[in-house]
Amino acid sequence: MDLFSVFGNLLYGLGVALTPTNLTVAFVGLILGTAIGVLPGLGGTNGIALLLPLTFNLPPTSAIILLASVYWGALFGGAITSILFNIPGEPWSVATTFDGHPLAQQGKPGIALTAAFTSSFLGAAVSIVLFTFFAPPLAEWALRFGPPENFAVLLLAFATFTGLGGGDPAKALFMTGLGLLLSTVGFDIVSGQPRMNFGFVELQSGVSFIVIAIGLFGLGEIFLTVEEGLRLRGIAGRVGFRDLWEMWRMLPRFWATIVRGTILGFWIGVLPGTGATPASFMSYGLAKQFSKHPERFGKGEVEGVVAPETAAHAAGIGALLPMITLGIPGSPTAAVMLAGFFIWGLNPGALLFQTQREFVWGLIGSMYITNVLGVLIVLTMVPVFAAINRIPFGVLAPLIVILSSIGAFAVNNQVLDLWIMLGSGVLGYVFKKLKYPLAPLVVALVLGDMTEQALRQSLIMGQGSLLIFVTRPIALTFLLAGLFLFLLPLVRGLRGRRPRAPEPVTAG
Amino acid sequence: MRRADTAFALLLVVGAAIMIREALRLPIAWTAIGPGAGFFPFWLSVGVAFQGVIILIRSLRVPAPPGREVPFVEPEAWRPLLVAFLPMVAVIAAINYLGIYIGGALYLAGYMIFVGRHHWTSVILISILLPLGLFLIFERWFLLPMPKGLILEHLLFGR
Repeated sequence: MDLFSVFGNLLYGLGVALTPTNLTVAFVGLILGTAIGVLPGLGGTNGIALLLPLTFNLPPTSAIILLASVYWGALFGGAITSILFNIPGEPWSVATTFDGHPLAQQGKPGIALTAAFTSSFLGAAVSIVLFTFFAPPLAEWALRFGPPENFAVLLLAFATFTGLGGGDPAKALFMTGLGLLLSTVGFDIVSGQPRMNFGFVELQSGVSFIVIAIGLFGLGEIFLTVEEGLRLRGIAGRVGFRDLWEMWRMLPRFWATIVRGTILGFWIGVLPGTGATPASFMSYGLAKQFSKHPERFGKGEVEGVVAPETAAHAAGIGALLPMITLGIPGSPTAAVMLAGFFIWGLNPGALLFQTQREFVWGLIGSMYITNVLGVLIVLTMVPVFAAINRIPFGVLAPLIVILSSIGAFAVNNQVLDLWIMLGSGVLGYVFKKLKYPLAPLVVALVLGDMTEQALRQSLIMGQGSLLIFVTRPIALTFLLAGLFLFLLPLVRGLRGRRPRAPEPVTAG
Repeated sequence: MRRADTAFALLLVVGAAIMIREALRLPIAWTAIGPGAGFFPFWLSVGVAFQGVIILIRSLRVPAPPGREVPFVEPEAWRPLLVAFLPMVAVIAAINYLGIYIGGALYLAGYMIFVGRHHWTSVILISILLPLGLFLIFERWFLLPMPKGLILEHLLFGR
């Protein structure tokens, strides 16, 4: 893969993304996504799961552009609610409230918003370039993987949830196992034998991942919000030319924070099981540590808005890298998109780059365009989006419930799925209250079939011996790395000083 | 909250045990086509059960907090939770008659009256217009067939 072919492919991808249909789709996706991001209680993961049924009748390229645009929009939108309402619209914008809302209270909402959008834009722009040049060689390398390598990579992905996901490692491991176990419901992929269905014919097609995601993330979140009794009181804000000028003049001062946030965010995003939320917290923490005035953080320091927003967007882009090259989602939101691949009839993984040029490069090309389009939309339309939060909760909550039901039903057209959705909603509520991380469950559920297939094929290759994983160097390296990550929490526990765990990853 | 943690972990272990039993109905050993259909689910459910036991034991070893124990759900939060949840059960149970649109409209109206305490004019207006808008979006433009229920089918097609 030489540089020229990357440029050629990129130009081709930009062409695909600029066709009127795809441009319209991107625009609609951005507006919807920003609205989803603004609304607390309706998250990016759930929003994309809800919109997935709408893509069934679209060509795959337009479908992925729609979902990706919704993701980018949601990343932008979360900041608006954080800054103006002091309530994070999304988990990844929690850190943005720390300094964003104080700034708004001091009468500078425009500065805070400009800072958030500009740094998001910069973090994303650099990450997209990194993405463009990292993805093709990675995919080419992964083409040489056999089943043992694939299994080892998947194991490494699950290990990162346990080792780096934050929160209780025992619970993260449990949730990974549960997700894999749920994916076995239906029928055996090798022998075609029905299994784990407890005698229910309806379960033979398996439990739909999207239905469970809608329940866990959508209804679970609604129950939590209902319990807290959400009341929104916001500060009116718009972005004027004065704000742009004032903020952009400050920008060069933050170059170190932006570079650090971008690299950190991109890397954390690439690691499966993490995503935008921990990236934003870590970037905020680092900016505070490196700052000459750490005492100003939390009281309306512009740098405290720049740091988490840069990292969150960089991580959002990074999370798509393992998804498109290896078929392993870097975050729950990416997992929902990956579930879409199967529905659109595509096999995620290294072969995608060879066989689906339009799809892959159309998506990459659209990233460049939606990032520019997105920042223009949010800068000009802040008051419109902020007005969404005037929708009273008494209307919003039932509306989300109705949309969730429509989304869940559309997947298989069966009423049983509505019950599964409701059950997952209750479970999601309990899981969240008892601090069981949802991300490992969701990602394991999507990757279950792939994992089982890779394991069983490896065992057949090795004629039943596990030695096959040891004799192949790439597989062995991944396995050792995975083992290290699995054992990391254990070692930390033995040393007796558990570092303060970051927020458990809920979405991203 | 401590007791809820233990109780839930216990529930998960029981669930995993049921999954083990279900997996044992399949061949779990080496067969003519390699590992049997039950191989993966069996070892996973064993692992999940084991992990559940660990969570259970750890939940028992958490010391009691000083002062008041935080309940899993605060007493005053039960009402809003049940107001959101129980009507959902009712609407899904009656989905064959109501369909998603009429069921949704009723749910919306009820929620606006009992939680939002909105004026009755806005209740009527919103709970009619919003489901109507959704109907147009999903049935007309995206051609996704939703359960319309006997009532709506009758109104639309006279059946």
